[in-house]
Amino acid sequence: MANIDPNGAPVGFPFEDHRLDNGMRVILHQDRSTPIVAVHVMYHVGSKDERAGLTGFAHLFEHLLFQGSEHVPREGHFKHIQDAGGTLNGSTWFDRTNYYETLPSNELDLALWLESDRMGFFRAGITQEKLDNQREVVKNERRQSYENRPYGLAFETVLESAYPERHPYRHPTIGYMPDLEEASLEDVHGFFDRHYGPNNAVLVLAGDIEPAAALGRVEHWFADIPPRPVPDRVSVPSALDRGERRATIDDQVQVPRVYLMFHSPPFDDPGFEAADVLTFLLGDGKSSRLHNALVYEQQVAAEVHAFTWPTEKVGMFFVVATARPGVTAEALETAARDVIRDLRSGSIRAEEMEGALNRARRSLVGQLNAVGGRADAFAHAVTLRDDPGYVNSVFGRYASLTGEAVTGLADEILRSDRLTAVHVVPRAGTDQVADGS
Amino acid sequence: MSPADVGPDRARRPESGEPRPLRLPAFRPVQAPGGLNARLAARDELPEVSLRLVLEAGAAAEPSGAAGLAELTGRLLTEGAGSRDAVAMARWLDRLGAGFEVSVSYDVAVLSTHLLSDVLDEAVEFLAAVTRDARFDGEEFERLRSERLDEISRELDEPAIVADHALISAIYADGLYGRPIRGTDASIRRVDDEMVRDFHSRRYAPDGALLLACGDVSVHTLTESLGRHFGGWTGSCEREPAPSVPASPATRAAMILIDRPGSPQSELRVGTVGVPHGTEDHYAIIVANAILGGLFNSRINMNLREDKGWTYGARSFFRFRRGAGPFVTKTAVETAATGPALEETLAEIARMREEPPGEEELLLAKHALTLSLPLQFETPAQVTSRVSRQLIFDLPADYWEAYRGRIDAITPEEVRDVCRRYLSEDRLVLLAVTDADAVEAEVERFGEVERRDSPSGP
Repeated sequence: MANIDPNGAPVGFPFEDHRLDNGMRVILHQDRSTPIVAVHVMYHVGSKDERAGLTGFAHLFEHLLFQGSEHVPREGHFKHIQDAGGTLNGSTWFDRTNYYETLPSNELDLALWLESDRMGFFRAGITQEKLDNQREVVKNERRQSYENRPYGLAFETVLESAYPERHPYRHPTIGYMPDLEEASLEDVHGFFDRHYGPNNAVLVLAGDIEPAAALGRVEHWFADIPPRPVPDRVSVPSALDRGERRATIDDQVQVPRVYLMFHSPPFDDPGFEAADVLTFLLGDGKSSRLHNALVYEQQVAAEVHAFTWPTEKVGMFFVVATARPGVTAEALETAARDVIRDLRSGSIRAEEMEGALNRARRSLVGQLNAVGGRADAFAHAVTLRDDPGYVNSVFGRYASLTGEAVTGLADEILRSDRLTAVHVVPRAGTDQVADGS
Repeated sequence: MSPADVGPDRARRPESGEPRPLRLPAFRPVQAPGGLNARLAARDELPEVSLRLVLEAGAAAEPSGAAGLAELTGRLLTEGAGSRDAVAMARWLDRLGAGFEVSVSYDVAVLSTHLLSDVLDEAVEFLAAVTRDARFDGEEFERLRSERLDEISRELDEPAIVADHALISAIYADGLYGRPIRGTDASIRRVDDEMVRDFHSRRYAPDGALLLACGDVSVHTLTESLGRHFGGWTGSCEREPAPSVPASPATRAAMILIDRPGSPQSELRVGTVGVPHGTEDHYAIIVANAILGGLFNSRINMNLREDKGWTYGARSFFRFRRGAGPFVTKTAVETAATGPALEETLAEIARMREEPPGEEELLLAKHALTLSLPLQFETPAQVTSRVSRQLIFDLPADYWEAYRGRIDAITPEEVRDVCRRYLSEDRLVLLAVTDADAVEAEVERFGEVERRDSPSGP
């Protein structure tokens, strides 16, 4: 059975790695402990592949893939999966778009039918009416999750500040309102033809399957979908030469929040795991450096987080801190950067490093303990690293990290010439709360 | 491809295979000190364990006027225990790498730990320390109380949270379910560290508490660990009686309008008093809600999102508690659609009352509820969570085993009848957090409007 050596040795989840004649990559992972299977299709296309003036298109397109295809009526996708007792969703990111369902294992064919129909027979299902409807849904998603939410526009401000005009990572996945209006049916067909061929996708089955039989079913449903030319990967220039960038925006909020983004190693870089452990060391747990200094000792922050995004081409390492009342964004940034400076120039206690690694390891197990999370991890490992075995070897890579490797990485990336700082401050006229004490 | 394979028949849904039965986890009793009811479902797929300690220390046990005391007590558990101060406790937990979370509901406090099995014994020691020996030092109390007051204030920036709180307050007024679990600015200012110590000493007791464990640990190992670290823990704690709640919403207004000038969207709620857990209508209500707003394919989401495009999503739920928790529909729509969206929501609720659901729609709801059971018992944390609810609400021991049969037995008429019983139009309160000037004329059609100023704006 799938076991992870508590010491982090690279043993773990067995898998088979196949490729159909049409180029579709297939990963099969068996785990029969629960009679369910996760089916996950990841296409190697995301918001960074959008053309200028059509930001948000990859995500809008993802919505359309739930609107039916030649043999599946509108709303049929959700209906069939829910009727089988399954759950489903999709998501869009800079670099990839995924579609996934987890359902009772006796319904594997249902999921393969639905996924193969939208991969091979999408064109006949799409209409102007569906496009217009989902355009409105997505505009409301932007309003709900970004515009009408405190600090909701901070991340897109970070991207706009960090990257130059036309850079593929400069715009948010949700896109901008005027661009969403522009999307036409012609764009939809073109995008599908360019990016949604089987040879630009990986299909992962994880859970209660017999690999040989499951591969037969995958061939049955997908083998007749022809491959299509895959466009050249978009070129992504480094933004390291831009130096420190800064922006301030106001919002309907009562206290400032500071976003510090440092250009860092992307997901397939050897430094990625060290950057990830650094996030645990700095911001995960009450004893972490930033929490202890900013929230506990100095009480200048209400909360502080550190995280790094597993992006394909350029990495982003974030520190995000929310001020206590009466603390300015400037003071908060200074306090956070003092902690970062101490870390870069100092050393890490053995117990501190042990804890960061233990938290990283437990967090990984938490991401992989359900078949849905495991399928997601395999799909990312294939799409962004071309290495499904990363799902297992990652444990050993974490275990072999030393404190010196982590401080070395911190010293390399947490520098002001790699920094983009965004301050979100209360809009004039918004009532300030008095200090609570 | 096998020779018999003539290519896929894409024209219709493929046949389902033979389902493999789900084996629900079997919990075995584990000997534990002080009358603590401890149970374990061992499984070894992954080297992880979920521990869930359920205490009769929810908001229902707070003295009157001290809303937020239970939650604040839960937060303070880790800020110093036994010989360790807050910093030492944080370092201890963070070295183990275990996830530890305290979640306080109206009914109970739940201390949940997710850990890798190689640190089980120390994680149990940590759990025992925070449960038994929390110190509640005055300085730490003041720090967390001040953080809490800030949080309450920051929540005013979030229209969705403002809407949630205003709705329960309109429904339950000053009753237990009418105040947020985390308290209000005024009630938190009234709480002091002595009240916390007193609450802890009365409510954190082994007799009456429940510990559920699931994962990679043996009965023997867990028994030893519990004996070692919880040994000598004594005391007992009675359940609070379920709160009595009004039969209908307390507010007299039909429509509450909370002004947030310039909002690009309206946060909309429709709500009323629901039902407690485990009434005779329990299963019919679950099915009815799945049809109305519990699934993606439910009526209000299909209508407001997939047909009209007014929203990113719309849903509804009944909150089952020991007392009658609320029924709520929840959505955020573009401001111009405020009036029509409320009207459509009311129309969908009315249709639930007026006619029994069709066969296909009813079956979809039942399937979504019952065939999904294997997905709900996959991870140790899911298992301890589901089974703890069974014990918190005194559900029958065969609740999950019998669940499918009970859901399947619900008739279309029963669905309509529970909607008539609980969702009659005169019991529904409407609420919007929005640009009030932009929508006020639109919403007067729903009855008496109570307009309030923005809680945080100018």
